[in-house]
Amino acid sequence: MTTRIQFNEELGRLHHDILTMGARVEEDLTKALLALKTGDVALAKEVKAGDELVNAMQLKIEDQAAKLIATQQPVARDLRELVTVFKITDNLERIGDHAVHLAKAARRLSEDPYPRSLERLERMAAVDLAMVHEAVAAYLEHDEARARAAAARDDEVDAEHKAFVQEVLAYLAENPGKAQQATKLIATSSFLERLGDHVTNLCEAVVFMLTGAHTELNE
Amino acid sequence: MHDSPVKFSIKGLDLWYGKTQALKKIDVDIGEKSVTALIGPSGCGKSTFLRTLNRMNDLIDGVRIEGSVLYEDADIFAPGTDVIDLRKRVGMVFQKPNPFPMSVYDNVAYGPRVHGVKDKAALDEIVERSLKQAALWEEVQGRLRSSALGLSGGQQQRLCIARVLAVEPDVVLMDEPTSALDPISTAKIETLLDELKRRYTIIIVTHNMQQAGRISDKTAFFLMGDLVEYSDTKELFFNPRDERTENYISGRFG
Repeated sequence: MTTRIQFNEELGRLHHDILTMGARVEEDLTKALLALKTGDVALAKEVKAGDELVNAMQLKIEDQAAKLIATQQPVARDLRELVTVFKITDNLERIGDHAVHLAKAARRLSEDPYPRSLERLERMAAVDLAMVHEAVAAYLEHDEARARAAAARDDEVDAEHKAFVQEVLAYLAENPGKAQQATKLIATSSFLERLGDHVTNLCEAVVFMLTGAHTELNE
Repeated sequence: MHDSPVKFSIKGLDLWYGKTQALKKIDVDIGEKSVTALIGPSGCGKSTFLRTLNRMNDLIDGVRIEGSVLYEDADIFAPGTDVIDLRKRVGMVFQKPNPFPMSVYDNVAYGPRVHGVKDKAALDEIVERSLKQAALWEEVQGRLRSSALGLSGGQQQRLCIARVLAVEPDVVLMDEPTSALDPISTAKIETLLDELKRRYTIIIVTHNMQQAGRISDKTAFFLMGDLVEYSDTKELFFNPRDERTENYISGRFG
C-alpha cells in the first residue's frame, strides 16, 4: 500500500521545478561559455534574461516547499529533503549570477581581446557546468556517491584558477598598461572558482539530506 | 541531552495475551523527570507496555508476563509487591476524560480520602495544589462544588490529571490523553506536561507524531510487539536510525 499520495505528488512537482531551474542555469552557463569563446555579444544578453527567469523560479520553488512543510508536517528524510530545497535553490541562484558575470566578462573581452589563451577559463567553465549537472542529478536521484564525485571536481577548478591567475600576473608584468584588463580577467576567474564552491555547497546539502550528517566535501 | 537517572528499567519483557505475544523482549530504561513518548501503529504493543508499568494488565484474563520491570530498582512483579501502592505511585490518565459523577472538589479529594486523609483543611490544600498543578484552578475555583460533568472535555481531562496528582504520584502514565480534545485544550495539556516533568516522570502514548515531537525528551517506537527504536526525540524525528521508524513517522507505512 502506498500512502501519502498527495505529498509524493507535490514533492514530484517540486523535483520537476528544481530540475527545470537547474537546466535553466546550465543553459545560461553554456551560453556564457560560448560567449567567452566566440565573443558573441547577443548571447551575453540572453544570459542576463535567463537569469531573471532563474530568480523567479527560486521564489516559486521556495514558496512551494514552505507550503508543503506547513501543510504536510514532514519529518525525518522528507523534512531534510524540504530543508535542503532552500539550499539547492539558493546555490543554483548564485551559480546563475556567476553565469551572468561570465557573460559580462565575455562582452568586455570582445571589446579588448586578451592576446593569450583563455583555455583555462573555458576549462573551468566546462568543469563547473558538468558539476552543476551532476549535483542536480545527484539531488533528484538521491545519489550520495554522485554528489561526492561532483564536489570532488572542484579541485580541478581551483587548480585552473590558480594557474590562470599566475599567467595573467605574468602577462601584466610584461604589459603594465593592461592593469584594467588583467584585473577583469582575474575577477572572471574568481567568479568561476566561486561557482565551483557553490556546487560543492549544493553537494554537501545533498549528502546532508541523504545521511543527516553535515559533511565538508572540499576543504 | 543529558540522560536523567533511571526510573524504570525494563529487561527482556515478554507479554502474551493467551497465545498472542504482544511484547517481545523489550529492553529499555526510562529516565526520571522527563517525558517519554510511546508511538507506533494500533496493536503494536505501546499501550500494553504502558499498562505493564503499573500492573494494570493484571486485570486482564490470560495475560502472561516474563522478564523484569524494575521500578526504582525493585521488580514490580516480585511476590509481595503492594500493587495498590504501586498504582498510587505510578498513576494513570486515560484517553477519554473519566471524571466521577460528583463535584470538582470531590473528584480531586477522592484519592486522598481513600488513602485516609480526613482533615478538611488538609484536603482543601491538596485540592487547590493539585488543581493548580493541573493548570485548572483559575477556571474552576469558583465552582468547586459543581458537578465535574459540567466542565468542558479539556477541563475534564485536566481534572483527571489533578485527580492523579492529588495522591502525590511519582510517575504519571498517559494513554493518548489529548486524542479526544480540541487543539486549544491539547495545547494547554502539552504546556502542562512541560511543567509537570520538573516534578514527575511522564510516559505518554500518543498517535499524534507532532505531539510526540513537541512534548517528549525521548521517543520509543513500537511495531508488532518489538521496540524498534528508542532515541532522543529530536534525533528520532529528524534522522531515525531504523528504516521502519522512518516509514512510520513519515506516514509511509506498509
